[in-house]
Amino acid sequence: MARTWMQSLIKAFYIAKKDARVYYFKAPNFTYGLLMPVSLFIAFSIAGRIDPSLIVSGLTSLVILFGTTSIEAVAVVLEKQTGTFERLLAAPVSFFTIILGKALAGLFFGVVLAAAILVPLAVISGTVVANPVLVLVAVASSSLTFSALGVLVSAYAKWVPEAQMLSNFLRFPMAFLSGAFLPLELLPAELGAVARFLPLTYSVEALRVSINDSAPTFTYSMDLLILSLFSIFLLVLGAKVLQHRLE
Amino acid sequence: MKAIVEAKGLTKRYGHLLAVDHVDLEVFEGEIFGLLGPNGAGKTTIIRMLTGQTKPTFGEALIAGHDIVREPIKAKESVGVVPEVSNVYDEMSAWDNLVFAAELYGVPRSERGRRAGELLELFGLYERREEKVGNLSKGMKRRLTIAMALIHKPRIVFLDEPTTGLDVQSSRVIRPLIKELNESGVTIFLTTHYIEEADQLCQRIAIINQGKIVALDSPERLKARAEEGHVVEVSLSPATGLEERLKDLKYVNGATRVGEKFRLYVEDVSLAIPVLADFCRENSLKIISINTLKPSLEDAFVKITGLSPEVMAIEKEHAKKGESLG
Repeated sequence: MARTWMQSLIKAFYIAKKDARVYYFKAPNFTYGLLMPVSLFIAFSIAGRIDPSLIVSGLTSLVILFGTTSIEAVAVVLEKQTGTFERLLAAPVSFFTIILGKALAGLFFGVVLAAAILVPLAVISGTVVANPVLVLVAVASSSLTFSALGVLVSAYAKWVPEAQMLSNFLRFPMAFLSGAFLPLELLPAELGAVARFLPLTYSVEALRVSINDSAPTFTYSMDLLILSLFSIFLLVLGAKVLQHRLE
Repeated sequence: MKAIVEAKGLTKRYGHLLAVDHVDLEVFEGEIFGLLGPNGAGKTTIIRMLTGQTKPTFGEALIAGHDIVREPIKAKESVGVVPEVSNVYDEMSAWDNLVFAAELYGVPRSERGRRAGELLELFGLYERREEKVGNLSKGMKRRLTIAMALIHKPRIVFLDEPTTGLDVQSSRVIRPLIKELNESGVTIFLTTHYIEEADQLCQRIAIINQGKIVALDSPERLKARAEEGHVVEVSLSPATGLEERLKDLKYVNGATRVGEKFRLYVEDVSLAIPVLADFCRENSLKIISINTLKPSLEDAFVKITGLSPEVMAIEKEHAKKGESLG
């Protein structure tokens, strides 16, 4: 049993490695992942509506969200279009292994993308990261959750523009409601309640506390737990919906 | 003989559409088995069910003794799949594509490179191994797709339209490779629009129409079933605009134009030829040549599926253009 699980994990890693080479690590994906959130932040900064304490955690979370969801959804849709997804379906791997492999590629990409924004931001703003390991775990959890969201989006899209449209439909409301730009306490009570159902809220919070605290706090642990639950829920749902729609 | 594929009551329904209707078939270890059928008959759906890419609505299939629904991973370990579209990764090199296939099929790390090298040599791609696959020709991509299906030394290979859309030269390279592969002990399950291809390669052929197997036998026996009908091939001058008029002649069931000649499907040659001669005289047409033909596998296919010869001609045209016909 343990051997089977290990073999599945190894094959998921091979799928992730292939995805990273074929789809992820290309200049346009980096620029898109960074450009959109950075533009939003600049626009809000000019309007003076961003809490300065949120810049590093908020912007990093948004970069992970935009970068991973878009490329994850596009990678799956492209595989469906070109017929290479059939190659994976015909191979001796479970459907969940395929999806896990795809999400792992998103996880690696999210970590690299986050580092590309977090490190320069921390240097520029003079932010001292108390415990880099806590930040890394928060970034990895966020990346896995948003990759899983990308898988779910890909299940409903037949074409790349459709995947982008569906992703934006989820990303933009989430970006404004999750405390990435403004502390949640400043949002109206109803919107604050909605924010508690959004994974980006926990990503922003986990990053903020992990940057400031050297040891895991209760809030940080709860954020990671909730992000993990989101990951599992979105991965299982994404796999089920995608499998059903491929039939 | 031992069956490597056993399908019982295999059925696939998409909403109201019954794509495959209670198909029973056995494929024996070591044979080349062909699946022939017209447009949308269910050939690709059968392959997709037998290779675990889609679940049957009803019925079951055992691949190398493993149920494809209950034990999909074990069943797939014995199978190589070459789909209708060459599904290679254009962004990766031929070498990397093969290594990825080896990783996916659990080929031990120590054997991956050696196996990839052997297959690249066998399929004449070794010199281009480092090039991005997107730069390779359609025929080369097809060969690479077949090579990728063989990386784990499968017991059976499913080939869905292996030469459709390829130029004559590429097809001529691939057909002997399929034979060689079979001679090395690999069972082949083949679908093709080229009836001549099935005739040349397959030891047994199943003819499928509207989701049902309507005949299953050796090519020679299938041809024998068509001998009750006859074919008259005639060359006329001038030859323009005659097809429709020839079809309307008494004792003629159908007519197609094949190059410069007309092929007439008749019930009785001795009755049809005098009618044809009268028609030519009345229309001042000169008979350049006239022959009666031995039924071909195509004639058997037409007779068994009930398709008109015209539809078959259209199917052949589609196949030449490489269009997907399901």
